[in-house]
Amino acid sequence: MLSLDFLDDVRRMNKRQLYYQVLNFGMIVSSALMIWKGLMVITGSESPIVVVLSGSMEPAFHRGDLLFLTNRVEDPIRVGEIVVFRIEGREIPIVHRVLKIHEKQNGHIKFLTKGDNNAVDDRGLYKQGQHWLEKKDVVGRARGFYQENISVEDRNYLFLILEL
Amino acid sequence: MAAAAAQGGRSGGGGGSGGAGGGPSGGTGSSRSGLLDKWKIDDKPVKIDKWDGSAVKNSLDDSAKKVLLEKYKYVENFGLIDGRLTICTISCFFAIVALIWDYMHPFPESKPVLALCVISYFVMMGILTIYTSYKEKSIFLVAHRKDPTGMDPDDIWQLSSSLKRFDDKYTLKLTFISGRTKQQREAEFTKSIAKFFDHSGTLVMDAYEPEISRLHDSLTTERKMK
Repeated sequence: MLSLDFLDDVRRMNKRQLYYQVLNFGMIVSSALMIWKGLMVITGSESPIVVVLSGSMEPAFHRGDLLFLTNRVEDPIRVGEIVVFRIEGREIPIVHRVLKIHEKQNGHIKFLTKGDNNAVDDRGLYKQGQHWLEKKDVVGRARGFYQENISVEDRNYLFLILEL
Repeated sequence: MAAAAAQGGRSGGGGGSGGAGGGPSGGTGSSRSGLLDKWKIDDKPVKIDKWDGSAVKNSLDDSAKKVLLEKYKYVENFGLIDGRLTICTISCFFAIVALIWDYMHPFPESKPVLALCVISYFVMMGILTIYTSYKEKSIFLVAHRKDPTGMDPDDIWQLSSSLKRFDDKYTLKLTFISGRTKQQREAEFTKSIAKFFDHSGTLVMDAYEPEISRLHDSLTTERKMK
């Protein structure tokens, strides 16, 4: 057998100690998981923290900013608020501002969005034949954000590395 | 003296392996496959990074355990450790349930189950913290000495230790609880870890083992006098 000195610590452990090491690792992963799920339950959003991926909301949000979202039923969506939504059939959520809302008596709404830095509204992005978004497409409303003060070049560089 | 040290090719050495946790599997190496024998390395002198505080403490604890279990032939009791393992296992179980449930029923429907699992998980964390702070209290070995006559309940020996961060003073405390009288006696020593390790980080059992024996004998002789 090879002289695997670095495994000496493992070899010296009995079954219980090995199991405890495995459990320890499991506990760390579980803690992170439970905190994330806990946030999901508290905010009501399926993704309580998102990263801004494009520059379509500048100068408010830049690429790489963190957004904190909530999606509570009792908070209605109003014009001027920033929402994160998913278009049917697409995976990646989009962060834009609400432009127009049609609201019925029973609370059902349909709304139109547009990125601050875009020239046109999002109708071009929606599904074929879809002109409005609905509550079910919403991931959450932005309640807070975290921004790193780095230059545009540094931001682009970081994104290049992350995407690789 | 040399027999107690973790050196030399003891033929019955396989019995000490597994940290005496594999007691039921017998003391002879012939009951295991050759590969498993080569895997266990209890005969090799313990060598660790002397600047790593937790490695130092762990190796001192393990060696003290070995001395008590092998030299005095006490039987290790896993009650405390099993308690901690059960609590951790239950916590991980809650986490796994939350994960799978959320995967099967996408988010909004799974909210009540998720909330339940998250709260249970953190409650278990709290229980674990209380358990380790108050019940375990840095005890790493509970060993029983079976009464030879078989009449009286077992005597219990407990080992606990402490080594502060970036400090070199290691405190080892041996507690003896008599099975008959339920009296408790303890003895401890505080020494610099430099006394037990050589410059390369190898634990020198010749220096460590007498300390343990001295602690042990100081508690046994008192018993004889009473």
